[in-house]
Amino acid sequence: MTLQECYAALEGDYEGVMGRLRTERLVQKFVLKFLDDGSYNLLTSSMESGDYDEAFRAAHTIKGVGQNLSFNKLYESSHLLTEALRSKDIEAAAPLYEQVKADYAQTVDAIHAYQASL
Amino acid sequence: MADKRKQKILIADDSEMNRSILADMLGDDYDIIEAENGKEAVALLQKQAAQIDLVLLDIVMPEMDGFGVLREMNDFRWIENTPVIMISAESAPARVQQAYELGITDFISRPFDAVVVHHRVVNTLLLYAKQKKLMNMVADQVLEKEKQSALMIDILSHIVEFRNGESGQHVLHIRTLTELMLKHINQMTDRYNFSKSDIALISTAAAIHDVGKIAIPGEILNKPGRLTNEEFAVMKTHSQVGASMLEALPVHKDEPLVRRAYEICRWHHERYDGRGYPDGLKGDEIPISAQVVALADVYDALTSERVYKKAIPHEKAVQMILNGECGQFNPLLMDCLRELEGNIQEAMASNEIRDWNDPNMLRNLTEELMQREELSASDRTLQLLEHERMKYQFFADMSQEVQFEYTVSPPAVMISEWGAKHLGLDEIIRDPHHDPAVLASMGADSMEKLAGLLARSTPEKPIVDFDSVIRIGGGERWMKIIARATWSKDEPPVYTGAIGKAIDIHETRVKMAALEEMAAHDTMTGLYNHKFAKMRIQDMMARKPESNFALGIFDVDHFKQANDTYGHMFGDQVLIHMAKTLKRNMREGTVSARVGGDEFLLFFEYREHVDLAINRIFNSLIGTYESFPISVSMGVAKTQMLGTDYDTLFHAADQALYAAKRGGRGQFRFYDGDSCETLSLISPIDGDTQEEADTDAEKRSGGEDAGCE
Repeated sequence: MTLQECYAALEGDYEGVMGRLRTERLVQKFVLKFLDDGSYNLLTSSMESGDYDEAFRAAHTIKGVGQNLSFNKLYESSHLLTEALRSKDIEAAAPLYEQVKADYAQTVDAIHAYQASL
Repeated sequence: MADKRKQKILIADDSEMNRSILADMLGDDYDIIEAENGKEAVALLQKQAAQIDLVLLDIVMPEMDGFGVLREMNDFRWIENTPVIMISAESAPARVQQAYELGITDFISRPFDAVVVHHRVVNTLLLYAKQKKLMNMVADQVLEKEKQSALMIDILSHIVEFRNGESGQHVLHIRTLTELMLKHINQMTDRYNFSKSDIALISTAAAIHDVGKIAIPGEILNKPGRLTNEEFAVMKTHSQVGASMLEALPVHKDEPLVRRAYEICRWHHERYDGRGYPDGLKGDEIPISAQVVALADVYDALTSERVYKKAIPHEKAVQMILNGECGQFNPLLMDCLRELEGNIQEAMASNEIRDWNDPNMLRNLTEELMQREELSASDRTLQLLEHERMKYQFFADMSQEVQFEYTVSPPAVMISEWGAKHLGLDEIIRDPHHDPAVLASMGADSMEKLAGLLARSTPEKPIVDFDSVIRIGGGERWMKIIARATWSKDEPPVYTGAIGKAIDIHETRVKMAALEEMAAHDTMTGLYNHKFAKMRIQDMMARKPESNFALGIFDVDHFKQANDTYGHMFGDQVLIHMAKTLKRNMREGTVSARVGGDEFLLFFEYREHVDLAINRIFNSLIGTYESFPISVSMGVAKTQMLGTDYDTLFHAADQALYAAKRGGRGQFRFYDGDSCETLSLISPIDGDTQEEADTDAEKRSGGEDAGCE
C-alpha cells in the first residue's frame, strides 16, 4: 500500500498534505506517529466521565492534528464535535462523537494497513 | 547575527504531534524548547525570557490557555522583547483581534504549511534581531554621549574657574550643594517635586553658572581688593552675558539642559527681596533653580579663599547667610540650609574627586539608563543577569531550602524549583495573597504577619524573620522564614518586594519543646516541679485576678516509716502511686506538683464550696498501697483571704499543713489567719528530716475552717 492509497482509504487529502509538509518522509513520519497520539483516548475517557471541558480540548487537538495531516474526514467530524462541545451542547455532541469514533477507526485501520505493507 | 548561538524558539502547544510537526518544519537551524501547557510556557519564560527569541503559542491548552500566557507576558513585560506568533485553528475575528491587542506579532492558522511557518518565523526573528541590535546601539551610544557631555561640562566649567582664579573645587561644590538642597527640598515640601532627572539637570547646569565671566577682563576678574563702582558694573554683566551666550547657541538652545543653564546663568545673582541683578526679579519670579544655585554660590564663595579674601569657616558662613548678610533668600531655602547644616561639609568632602573612570559612577549611570522605560537592557547586562540567575539557581538547588522572591507589583511570588516541589506549589504564583494553594500551605494569618513585617521594615533594617507552621504534603512543619525587603532608591524609598528563604526547623523546635517539657517536670512522678508550678500558678492568677483560687499542700502520713520499713525503692513507689491518684482525681485546669520529699501541691480555681472540692480530693487520696495504709495531711490557703502573692499563699498553706499535723494528721485545715506557727514542714526533695508530729490519731476534719493552735 502506498501512502497515497492510505490517504484514499482514510479519505484524506494527499496532495494537500504534500503541498504543505513538502516531503513524503515527513508525511510518513507523522502519519505513523498519529497512532501514538493520546488525544483520542483522552476524548473517550472524558466523554464517558462527562468532563466536557477536557473532551473539548481533546476534540480540539484531534481536529488540529487532523487538519495538519489533511485527514479531511476525521477533521470534519472532530471539527463539528469541537464546536458542539465548545457551546456545551451535549445533546448535539453525542451523535457527533459516534461519528468521530467511526472516522477515527477508519483512519487508524488505514494507517495500520499501510504500516503492515512497509 | 554576529554570534553563532542558535536562536531559541519556545513552542507551546498541548499536542505533542503539533509541536513535533512545527519542530520538524523549523529544522535544525533553531534551538527548540517545548511546553505542553500555558503554565509550563510561563515557567520557561520566567527562567529564560532573555534567551528566548520567539514564542510559537497555541490558544487552546489545559492549565492556562494562550491568552493567559500573553497576559503574563504583558505583566512581566517579556512581550516587549520576545515576539509571539499565535498558532491556532481559532480564526474567529474577535479572538484574532484580542490576540493582536495582547501584543502578538503574527498569526499562523492551521493547517501548518512548512513554507509559511518558516517564512513567518524567519521574518519575525529578523525584525526583532534588528530591533534588539538597535536598542543595544542606542543604549551604548547614550552611555557614551552622557559620559562625553558630562566631561565637556567639566572641562568648560574648569576653564571658567581657572580664569577666575577660583579654588579648583568651586564648580564641584556648587554642583554637590545644589543637588543636596534640591533633594532636601523634595522632602520639605510637595511644591516642586523635582524628579531624578530634574535634579541631575539642574545640578549639571549649575556647573556653568559663571560661564559669562569668560567675557570679563582678567584685570577686573582677578583684581585683589575691592572693585571700583565702574569695575563692579562690568563684573555684574557676567550673568547676562552668560545667558546671552547660551541663547545664541545655533543648536541645542531648546534642550532642557540649556534652558536650565540659561535660567541659572542669568538669575543666580537675583535676590528674594528684588535687590539683586540683572533684572531685579522678586520672590518666586526667580526660577527655583537659580535661587538654589545662588545660595550654593554664596555659601561656597564665603567658605573658599579668593584673591580678595580669606576662607570663612563653615559655621560662620552659614550664620552670615542666615543673618541676611549676603542678601535675602527664599525662607524655604534658608530653612533648607539650616536643616542641612550638618550634612554639607561631609557631602563636600566625599565628592572632592569626580572621575569618569570611577566604576561606581558608571554603574549609577547604567542603573539610571536601565530604569528608563524606552531603553531595554543591553546584551551585556542580560548576560550578567543570566549569569547571576544561573548562579542563584544552582545554589538554590544545592541548598535544599525553600527560596522565594516576592514582588509587590504585580503581586507575585516566585519559588525556587526545589522549594516549589517541596511545598507542592507552583514556581510562579500570581496574587499569592488570594491564592488558595498558598493560603492552605501557609495560612492567612502567617501570610498577613509576614507581609506586615516586611512592609514595616526599613531600608536600613530590611531583614525580618519569624517562625511559622507550614503544611507540607499533608503534615505540618515548623519553618523559620528569613526575608529581606527590597526598597527602591527613590526619595523616599518605596517597598517593592522581598527575597527570602524558609528553613525547616521542625526537629529543633520539637526537641526544644520536649526539653522545656522535661525541665518543667519532676522526673520521678511526672508532675510539675515546684519552680514550674509556681510560674504556672502566678500566670493563672495574673490572667484572672478576680477569680477565687485555692492552694493546697499535703504530705503522706508516716512516709518516713514506709521508707524505713520497706526501703527507699518502696517509698518511691508510694510517691508515684500518690501522683497517679492525684492526677486521676484532679479536675481539669488544676495544677499539681511535687514540691518536696513527700510533699505535693495542688492549685485550682473555684466558684464556691471550696471545702467540698478539697474534701473530695482529700478522700480520694486515702487508701492503701501494697498493704501500706495511706493517709495525708493537708493545709489549704485561699486567695479570697490572702490575695494573689504566691509566696504568701504558699507560706499560709504550709502553716495550715503544720497545724493539720499538729492536730493529729489525716486531716486537712484551711489557713484562717491566726498565724501562730512559722515552722515550715516542707522539706527538700529526698530529704526526710522533719520532726513527725506527736500523735497518730487519724482524725478527719470536717468542712469547717480550723485555725492553727
